Amino acid sequence: MSRYIAKAAIRGANLIVGEAEQMVEAAVAELGASTPVAFTNTAYHLPVILGFTGMEVDNLGELREAVAYAKRLLNAMPGESLWLPYLGETLDAGAATLLATEAIEAVRFARGLQPEPIPGLHLTGTSFTSPDNNGGGADGGHANGPIDDIQLRAWGIQLVDGRMPGFAAIIGAARSNEAAVSIVRELQKRNILVFLSGNVNGRSIIHQLMEEGVEMGYDTYIVPFGTDTISAIYALGFATRSALTFGGMSGGQTRDILLYNKYRVFAFALALGEVDDLKYAAAAGAINYGFPVIADTLIPQILPSGITSYEHVISMPFDDIPGDNDTERARRLVQRCMEVRGVKIKITDVPIPVPYGSAFEGERIRKADMRVEFGGSKAQAFEYLRSVGLDEIEDGKIEVVGPGFDDVPEGGAMSLGIVVEVAGRKMQEDFEPVLERQTHYWVNGASGIQHIGQRDITWIRLSKAAVDKGFQIKNLGDILYARLHADFGAILDKVAVTIYTDPDKFQEWLAKAREAYQARNVRLADMVDESIEEFYSCTLCQSFAPNHVCVISPERLGLCGAYNWLDCKASNQINPTGPNQPIPKGICLDPVFGVWQGSNEFAYQNTHQTVERVTLYSIMQDPMTACGCFECIAVVIPEANGVMVVSREDPSMTPAGMTFSTLAGVAGGGLQTPGMMGVGKYYLLSRKFISADGGFKRIVWMSSVLKGMMADELKGVCEREGDPDLLDKIADERSATTVEELLPFLEEHQHPALAMDPIF
Amino acid sequence: MSVAMPNVNETWTGKILEVTLGAGPDKGGTRGKTVTVGGETTLPFLHFEGEIPNKPVVAVEVRDRAPDDWSELLVKAWGDSLKDPAAWAAKAEGLGAEIIALSLDSAHPERGNTGAKEARETVRQVLKATSLPLIIYGPGQPDKDNEVLVAAAEEAAGERVALGNCEEKNYRTVVAAALANNQVVIAKTPIDVNLAKQLNVLIGDMRLDRDRILIDPTTGALGYGLEYTYSVMERVRLAALTGDSALQQPLIVTAGYEAWRAKEARTNDGVPTQWGDWAKRAVLWEANTAVTLLETGADILVLRHPETIPLVKRAIAGLMTRAGA
Ligand code: SF4
Repeated sequence: MSRYIAKAAIRGANLIVGEAEQMVEAAVAELGASTPVAFTNTAYHLPVILGFTGMEVDNLGELREAVAYAKRLLNAMPGESLWLPYLGETLDAGAATLLATEAIEAVRFARGLQPEPIPGLHLTGTSFTSPDNNGGGADGGHANGPIDDIQLRAWGIQLVDGRMPGFAAIIGAARSNEAAVSIVRELQKRNILVFLSGNVNGRSIIHQLMEEGVEMGYDTYIVPFGTDTISAIYALGFATRSALTFGGMSGGQTRDILLYNKYRVFAFALALGEVDDLKYAAAAGAINYGFPVIADTLIPQILPSGITSYEHVISMPFDDIPGDNDTERARRLVQRCMEVRGVKIKITDVPIPVPYGSAFEGERIRKADMRVEFGGSKAQAFEYLRSVGLDEIEDGKIEVVGPGFDDVPEGGAMSLGIVVEVAGRKMQEDFEPVLERQTHYWVNGASGIQHIGQRDITWIRLSKAAVDKGFQIKNLGDILYARLHADFGAILDKVAVTIYTDPDKFQEWLAKAREAYQARNVRLADMVDESIEEFYSCTLCQSFAPNHVCVISPERLGLCGAYNWLDCKASNQINPTGPNQPIPKGICLDPVFGVWQGSNEFAYQNTHQTVERVTLYSIMQDPMTACGCFECIAVVIPEANGVMVVSREDPSMTPAGMTFSTLAGVAGGGLQTPGMMGVGKYYLLSRKFISADGGFKRIVWMSSVLKGMMADELKGVCEREGDPDLLDKIADERSATTVEELLPFLEEHQHPALAMDPIF
Repeated sequence: MSVAMPNVNETWTGKILEVTLGAGPDKGGTRGKTVTVGGETTLPFLHFEGEIPNKPVVAVEVRDRAPDDWSELLVKAWGDSLKDPAAWAAKAEGLGAEIIALSLDSAHPERGNTGAKEARETVRQVLKATSLPLIIYGPGQPDKDNEVLVAAAEEAAGERVALGNCEEKNYRTVVAAALANNQVVIAKTPIDVNLAKQLNVLIGDMRLDRDRILIDPTTGALGYGLEYTYSVMERVRLAALTGDSALQQPLIVTAGYEAWRAKEARTNDGVPTQWGDWAKRAVLWEANTAVTLLETGADILVLRHPETIPLVKRAIAGLMTRAGA
């Protein structure tokens, strides 16, 4: 905590509490203690006082007690020699400030001085606040004052259900009228409620917007509270009443109310112009609610998060913001506010000239219908997603570097590289491949666009029909931008896409991408079960196999092949209550068979008490259950002292005497069947593939499609196992479909399984 | 000679929550009758094993506009009251309904596209016409659901109505409306225990009290996936009784809607004569669907045909009678 801020806030708090005390005393003397005080058309007494203290203040006498409470919260100024983080005192000073400012507004109401008259200000939308108030001279203009209950409910529901991301309490005056308008417009664009108050040397942002003809009022989501800092209390009154209305809380549940606001009301304060002691004090009040404060002037910052989700106080001097004009600077300022508060952008439509939806995913584009292709046999394409720092990219920037395809003849090809950069506080480098892999589905969702492959074997085709409708290279970026925000908004804040068709740039980025692919491969290879603390579950398949749980570790992916450990981790970040839950490993009960206390307990609970023990590395002892969507089935062939692995894509008879589909009927349904197990095909490559039973060398038979599909990888595994020719010793459906055929084959090729310990 | 029988009773650790619909004047509402469901500490109707403090109840579906896709049997049975939700509700109450399930169907963009104002008016009229607690359904289109359910929740403030459907795509709005107006929500998920659980967790995260949620697990009609939905409901109930606190709410099923979608109930065109008398068959189709779901734990059955009401209520009365009592 900055001592400077602490001192200023505490000074400000002392002043304002003193002022409140005087005002209340004077009002009591003049009007009597029983004079009612209330905010018109709201039913929560004085909401901030109610929330913080539980006091239901309805008259001046009771208001006096509330001010006394505020006074008790004040502490002595931090001394020069004290280097503690003064957070506690400052927050208390902030709370005292809020109580005092609300008390002041209450007195003003009692005296008929609120809402504040502002000549010439006409509000759009009905304000029920004070129908009788016609101060402000002949034209009857006045500020809004507190938001009435009807509006609170209407907006409150939208805040709670997320249609409205939050509110911005703007205090002061912007650098210029242009800046004022731009800031407000940027906020409106994001559906954020704008509350206005305060001034700098008598000039308020309210005046600025009036001069520029910006309509204010409920209808435009811009609510002017008043031209002094004190009126900003209505913003916190609104926040408190939201918690009382929608959080089911009652007055005095201070902590709950504050936490509710921190986690559910995405609000922040934006201090425009010079920050005086009272503003510091009010800012300290806002921090109590978990609302960060962003200032457009140079002030000390409070960065470490704790009370707020991210930074507490951010200084972003307006003149130092890059940009050609105030409009651009305002846009960046608002963008920064969004980041600090963690406000998420919602994009529902993919803005491209062709229809978009998962219905188009399976579309194929024949050569005759094709306008142009990227990748394939005549050109090359790659896609690369990387994470960068929040300051390094601008959200929404989509750029094509190099020529379009106008000069490419119909049906021709060109090289193209898609580089996606993402930034987010919850983004992790490990998620890069998880997100990158989605490109395939996302791009395929566009009608008339076909996507195949990934990384540097990407191959994209655009149909003539799509191009006729106006589809351009840049639209690929639009798709990725929209979908990344929509699907991964929980972990991303910013997305930028650059597409390279310029040959030099293409080569340059291709090299960078390949470097990254390589690094990822190494990283993945390094990631072993011993190196992490948590496995992940997948229970997606319980809808049809109620007692099935996939326990997913770095070295054993889900049996459908669709979820590896990193996928699960990312999915859990995005959807914390979803089907992928972390499983703390707990005590290792058996390192050879791969048994942990944590995975056993999880399996027991989530198979509804049917599976008590599950091994990760064995097919013989308590193997994992199988739901039905396994890529392959591994089955023990006792006569051969080994296992066979049949692929879903292989329709032939196997030495187990059954085809894949018959075997699937036996293995599926969420049962533990020793000697039989559903597996994802990449598990075959893992060092932990039935390692308790002898590992890869146990494989005596394997569908030829697997051998073909994973030829290089399998070769690597054979070398790792110290038997480079092992693959040739493994039979397939071409050499054996019965045990009688299998055994001579193994003998002839001297398969190592024959010499291993008995599998039983 | 007496043979010692082993005691096979299960001891369940979980209990279904009691959920009350409707509020009388003492609780800030205007309902003449309120309904409490749930509270079970055992599987359906195993009175010897645990408590079943509240009997399952029958809700009757009432729409805010005459349905144009309903079977002619239903249209005939309800007659002119179909045109006026208030009259329809009053008639349903007279026929033995214990809850009115008001569907604001006219808000659907293709079926009238009415808005908040009309929704309020309908709710007001129906509240006036019946003393029973209300369930209020939106038209099933997310935007319009949000619009009319929020309005309806406000209009019925204090009446403790159940708002439906609260689904993954719109639960936030519906729950917010329930929070602000002290109502109950119907959490509906498509035939999946884990999805049901997840939605309840999400709703709980929004701080709605656990006893202000009903679970609609989505069901099928007799002959149309009933057995699958039966076992999903059974699993929800087993999970609840074994202590899974995220699934311990009473279950509501739309047996009428499901049964009347089935060809066997809906029509007599081109069906074999062996199927027998249409009117009888249709009502039995609905009743059988409902009674089967009772056996797997349904606490509220939403029905359509007047003649089904007494059949199902009779079955409930029978099942609630302890053997030997
Ligand atoms: S098979 Fe795949 S989808 Fe199914 S539970 Fe396992 S990992 Fe999840």
